[in-house]
Amino acid sequence: MRPYTFAAARSVGEALEQARDGSAYLAGGTTLVDLMKLEVISPAHVVDITAVPLRGIRAGAKGLSIGAMERMADVAGHDLVAGPYPMLAEALRQSASPQIRNMATIGGNLLQRTRCGYFRDPATPCNKRSPGSGCSAVDGHNRSHAVLGTSDACVATHPSDLAVALIALDARLSLRGAGGERSLRLADFYRLPGSTPHQENELRPGELITGVAVPALPWARRSTYVKVRDRQSYDFALCSAAVAVNVRGGVIGEARVAAGGVGTRPWRLPAVEQALKGKPMRLETFQAAVEHAADGSRLLSRNAFKPALLRRTIVRALVHLAG
Amino acid sequence: MAQPTMDRIDARAKVTGAAKYASDHNLPAMVYGHMVTSTIGNGRIVSMDLSAARAAGGVIEIYTPGNRPAFRGTLPPPLAPVFAEARHPLADSEIHYYGQIVAMVVAETIEQARDAAALIKVTYTALPPKSSFEDAKQNPADPPVTGLPLGQPIKKPQDVDIETALAASQVRVEETYDIPPRHHNMMEPHAAVAAWQNGKLTIYSGTQGPAAHALELATVLGVQPADVHVISPYVGGAFGGKAFTWAPALLAAAAALALARPVKVVTSREQLFTVTGHRAASSQTFGLGTHRDGRLNAIKHHTTSQSIVEDPGYRTTPKYYLAPNVDIRLMVTPDMNLPTATIMRAPGDEAGSFALESAMDELAVRLGMDPIELRMKNYLESTLIEAKPYSSKHLDACYRVGAERFGWSRRSTQPAAVTDGDWQVGLGMSTAILDSGRASTTVRVTFRPNGTATVGCATSDAGTGMWTIMAMTGARALEVPVDRIRPALGDSGLPVAGNNDIYGAVGSAATSTVTPAILVAAKEAIGKLVEHATTAAGSPLVGAGDVRYDGGRLVGAGTSVGFGELLTLTRTAEVGAQGTSAPLDESHAYASYAAHFCEVRVNRWTGDPRLGRFTTVVDAGAILNAKTARNQITGGVLFGLAAAMFEEGKVEGATGRISNANLADYLLPVNADTTEIDVHFLDHPDTRLSPTGARGIGELGTVGAAAAFANAVYNATGKRIRTLPITPDKLLA
Ligand SMILES: Cc1cc2nc3c(=O)[nH]c(=O)nc-3n(C[C@H](O)[C@H](O)[C@H](O)COP(=O)(O)OP(=O)(O)OC[C@H]3O[C@@H](n4cnc5c(N)ncnc54)[C@H](O)[C@@H]3O)c2cc1C
Repeated sequence: MRPYTFAAARSVGEALEQARDGSAYLAGGTTLVDLMKLEVISPAHVVDITAVPLRGIRAGAKGLSIGAMERMADVAGHDLVAGPYPMLAEALRQSASPQIRNMATIGGNLLQRTRCGYFRDPATPCNKRSPGSGCSAVDGHNRSHAVLGTSDACVATHPSDLAVALIALDARLSLRGAGGERSLRLADFYRLPGSTPHQENELRPGELITGVAVPALPWARRSTYVKVRDRQSYDFALCSAAVAVNVRGGVIGEARVAAGGVGTRPWRLPAVEQALKGKPMRLETFQAAVEHAADGSRLLSRNAFKPALLRRTIVRALVHLAG
Repeated sequence: MAQPTMDRIDARAKVTGAAKYASDHNLPAMVYGHMVTSTIGNGRIVSMDLSAARAAGGVIEIYTPGNRPAFRGTLPPPLAPVFAEARHPLADSEIHYYGQIVAMVVAETIEQARDAAALIKVTYTALPPKSSFEDAKQNPADPPVTGLPLGQPIKKPQDVDIETALAASQVRVEETYDIPPRHHNMMEPHAAVAAWQNGKLTIYSGTQGPAAHALELATVLGVQPADVHVISPYVGGAFGGKAFTWAPALLAAAAALALARPVKVVTSREQLFTVTGHRAASSQTFGLGTHRDGRLNAIKHHTTSQSIVEDPGYRTTPKYYLAPNVDIRLMVTPDMNLPTATIMRAPGDEAGSFALESAMDELAVRLGMDPIELRMKNYLESTLIEAKPYSSKHLDACYRVGAERFGWSRRSTQPAAVTDGDWQVGLGMSTAILDSGRASTTVRVTFRPNGTATVGCATSDAGTGMWTIMAMTGARALEVPVDRIRPALGDSGLPVAGNNDIYGAVGSAATSTVTPAILVAAKEAIGKLVEHATTAAGSPLVGAGDVRYDGGRLVGAGTSVGFGELLTLTRTAEVGAQGTSAPLDESHAYASYAAHFCEVRVNRWTGDPRLGRFTTVVDAGAILNAKTARNQITGGVLFGLAAAMFEEGKVEGATGRISNANLADYLLPVNADTTEIDVHFLDHPDTRLSPTGARGIGELGTVGAAAAFANAVYNATGKRIRTLPITPDKLLA
């Protein structure tokens, strides 16, 4: 870890004031401190925002709002989350470990960095960490890497489970920066790596995430998050699926489907949603609908199983919702 | 007979943090060493830019190949260069593997040492490393001759032509089983705190064998073994990884000498993967040929591995099944650019049992025979090659009792036939056999005026329960309550006989080695105490004719006195004696046995396997403490299942880098990944092995566990996975 200066902010205003070139906000610290210890990132100035009151889990006519500083554990266990949006609670409960969920915040979760082992090891080339140095994963150990949205410069997955469920629910981010407030669809927040994998999202320097808004979607009560991983107790996803269905009279009216562990960003699958629409809620429908889910995949030397796993993970989620 | 059971006497100290592990020691004026490791897998160091590091705050010294601490001695004694790194740290500028130590920064604080270490810039000339075992195993070589049986071919009869014998068999299987490298990942990393005074070294360093550690350190440092004092009362897991001496302890000792200040060196988790030993990858081909009735005719077991240290053929095959034609061979892939291979819990046995017990399952399928019946058809009553009779073997009862407890009869003989919702359910079994033995060792028993007695031996407790076993055995031998026994271990100043017992807690033999010596030493000490009672001034029994020891009291002449009171009256600080256990009776072979039964559930859509249930029935002689014994078995089983489910050191062939050298990416099971493991002990004391009748337990659970899992996966899905670990992608196809 390199030396840095430290300040604690008590309000959004103080936080924004403290922000400067090369500074980083400290929320739960479970990503930030980890990466600082690995010297993957070395901010010159750290602004502690744990006392900034970006709290609250509220439900209104328009939907659910969650403060950026709410802890993963508190959100997962909240009645306003678990009842109306099971996929959100399930995604959180299958994230990390209880200890980490007690520390980690919603804002930090959405900004966590990829778990690509080359990104995390400064001794190896990585375009995301050190632009232009090359991508070690393309010819390296890439079993856990993405097959969708990749580029020659980067094949790293986005690791957040929560983001997958939020994308499926059309969530929006509230942001506050020196230039004022703005709101953005989470789906528009994350960028594809292209030739600039170090630019992961639309966050401007010094900007704060203040909260997340999830639109009301009554039929999301019938939703689930299925996560397939090597180690069941805690591990990042080999593949995951957030699925919600609106079924009436045995027929799917509408569906939401997004996937994790396969894309360079949380991956919404509108074609699968479309293919489910108007079809009977049964296995044949599911299997037909996922047939093209992984179309466009670019396979690496060790992750050729991912397209099949993606299709089956979605089917598993749908079977679960049917059962 | 009810098995004795007792809580660990060291448990409270451990859970309250009172137990001091090596790195918990802080000495006045102590400084900190932090190692720097190479980022190439083969080549040499061209230059090192130390300027920024030297200028950083608190830096005292930077050791490099150009500025080496003095290792004035030679290679350590015979076993160490085979089982640990023979090359001294920083010996020269050659790089043999990725993650090799290239420097050690010593600074006033650990933060300063780490900070400066990150500022060192090393320039290398890199050569393509020979790091891919997949490639290397295509061209293996004959193993070196070391004088050890490891790596030497085993044939029966001597001129066997195994291919012909296999071809002549009515039913055959021949398959190859691959196991990736594996790392001990004990909770406590290798750490050492070293201090010199008057030419003598005191070193706090976690070890399985304090006496061997002292001897190895002394030899490399060029001092007398008696001048090295190893202190290691608590060891946070070892699993073979702390059986020999590794660079961190050597560097701490050498730097402390050079700087004339105590030095602490703690290995980081990432460094543990390369600067200490690991289990090498192996590839085993098993050929089994039987008669139609299941009787084996031929066994071929050919292994390729990085080194000889874990020879699965030698360790496994001669002790499982009867067959007239046997051919066991090991080939090696020498000179690889990989970290040093060493032993790890159930060395050779774990790999060998996975291959053999998988192959037996495949054979049972081919024969259409129950796997237990097939094993009983080939039951060994004496060793396969020398035909030495087994001293005490109740494996047949393990099968029978285990099948009953587990509900083996409910297993579908048809694979992929049982589902429970979205889960395919399968049952599998395997056999575990672990050679047992013991070394002759020396124990000292000492009576004290406060009514306690010390029982001391230079053995080790790496979480095994040795502290407690020594106290219980001492209490039994001296006929006093266990809270009056003060065990002592983990110190090279304690007694040791000086043969193989210097290696302390290895080969699951610590309990079988130490407990008989406690009985001998107790008897000697009691003799000394009786003599003292009848002769020492102040004793009420002076001159008494028939004084005897009874339950902690000296009885005679119509009176009695407790030993504490006696020593108080005679103003004597201690009375005691050493005793050395008799050598092992070599007329018989000794082994511990278990039958493992495993239920696995595999998701029918996404292929993720989960552990369902596990039952194991164990025949390990007398069980001296049911609680710690059970703990050893459950830990051992989970250790073996971890190889089946998760563990894999992932080496990049092109660089030699281990891509998952950390605990986030190197997956280990945690409690949430396991299940209640049902352990049942048979109780047949092996009194030929020793008077306490205890055989080895520590590694037994590990043996065969992976095969039980893999066989259950086959039963659940019809898919035979021969390459560990068994991950969802392998079951998806
Ligand atoms: C062992 C381990 C396992 C894990 N497993 C999973 C998993 O299975 N699934 C999963 O989804 N996640 C997993 N995680 C990641 C974990 O969820 C994140 O580390 C956590 O959510 C980050 O939140 P935090 O509050 O600690 O963020 P911090 O570490 O404090 O911050 C992370 C980043 O976000 C920035 N930041 C934080 N808050 C704000 C804000 N309000 N506005 C602007 N910037 C901000 C920080 O500057 C930093 O760059 C795991 C982490 C670990 C260590």
